[in-house]
Amino acid sequence: MKKLLLAILLLTATAPQAAEHEMEHMHSHKGHVHDTMVDGQTLSVDAERFDNFVNAVPSDQIVVISVQGMVCDFCARGIEKTFDKDNTVTKIDVDLASGKVLLAYSQAVKIDRTVIEKNILNNGLNATAIQVIGK
Amino acid sequence: MVASTSLSRPISYVGGHTLMFNSATLADNIYWHYTPNINYSLGLDYQKDKITGQQFPSARLTYLINRKNSDTSQRNLYLKTGVGLNDTNNHFYALTGDWETRRLFVGFSAKQVSGDGYDLFEQSVTFGLAPYLGDYGALHTWLMIKSKKNDFDNKRATYPVLRVFKGGALIEFGYHKRTNWDVHLMYRF
Repeated sequence: MKKLLLAILLLTATAPQAAEHEMEHMHSHKGHVHDTMVDGQTLSVDAERFDNFVNAVPSDQIVVISVQGMVCDFCARGIEKTFDKDNTVTKIDVDLASGKVLLAYSQAVKIDRTVIEKNILNNGLNATAIQVIGK
Repeated sequence: MVASTSLSRPISYVGGHTLMFNSATLADNIYWHYTPNINYSLGLDYQKDKITGQQFPSARLTYLINRKNSDTSQRNLYLKTGVGLNDTNNHFYALTGDWETRRLFVGFSAKQVSGDGYDLFEQSVTFGLAPYLGDYGALHTWLMIKSKKNDFDNKRATYPVLRVFKGGALIEFGYHKRTNWDVHLMYRF
């Protein structure tokens, strides 16, 4: 058993990494909103969910975060609680199925991607893409 | 001190509290932990041995050795340890791990418990399947099989476990004809 435990420790010695991608293009159509990033990856959001979110905060700027590791309701709840403490966030939506978090901020707020990344990391998860959609 | 090593998220989000209640074959215990940093949690545990009636308050530490996140999964490896508050000869350490998607769960635990006049090694493995994928805030259900063995009776017990949770609350039941009920309640806040 000791050998087994040692082998597991050695095999899993890779620390989690956070990554950020810059966006260069965005378009939307019925069904999904698509964003093409500098590295060529595509970010998609459920359109109906996105529209409902935007319609509830029509004058706010929207942030779409792609999150790795958000596989259970407890993970999602931690994210909601963490961003709830930020007074500049006006609305939060967590989509477990797509691994996306939507945040709304008033137009006056200067959005700090580093803070968003840190808040996601404080839940043990990784933000792999952060897109800010102005109005 | 027969330390409980629940497989349910032993580290919360930063600033999060978790309260757990466990009732198993050998002991009942209440455990609270706080997560000051995403790499570890600190907690207090109060345990009552069902056979001897002895009480074991203890301080506990859970350390995240490694976590690997992907778009569809999370894998964790934890080191857990605890020491008795009224007798430091009572202590345990454990290595636990899990891999989870929204549909599948695999977890294991290996723990060594020591005290005055006794040593106990217990190991367990759990496999889980979510019969449906609930959205955020919905009732989530896991159908699981748990297999555990300790060197006290040296017999393996394999039995079904039902885990349901909604919001910050989780409840888990397992039953085996020899070890009887294994109940785990958890609330995260």
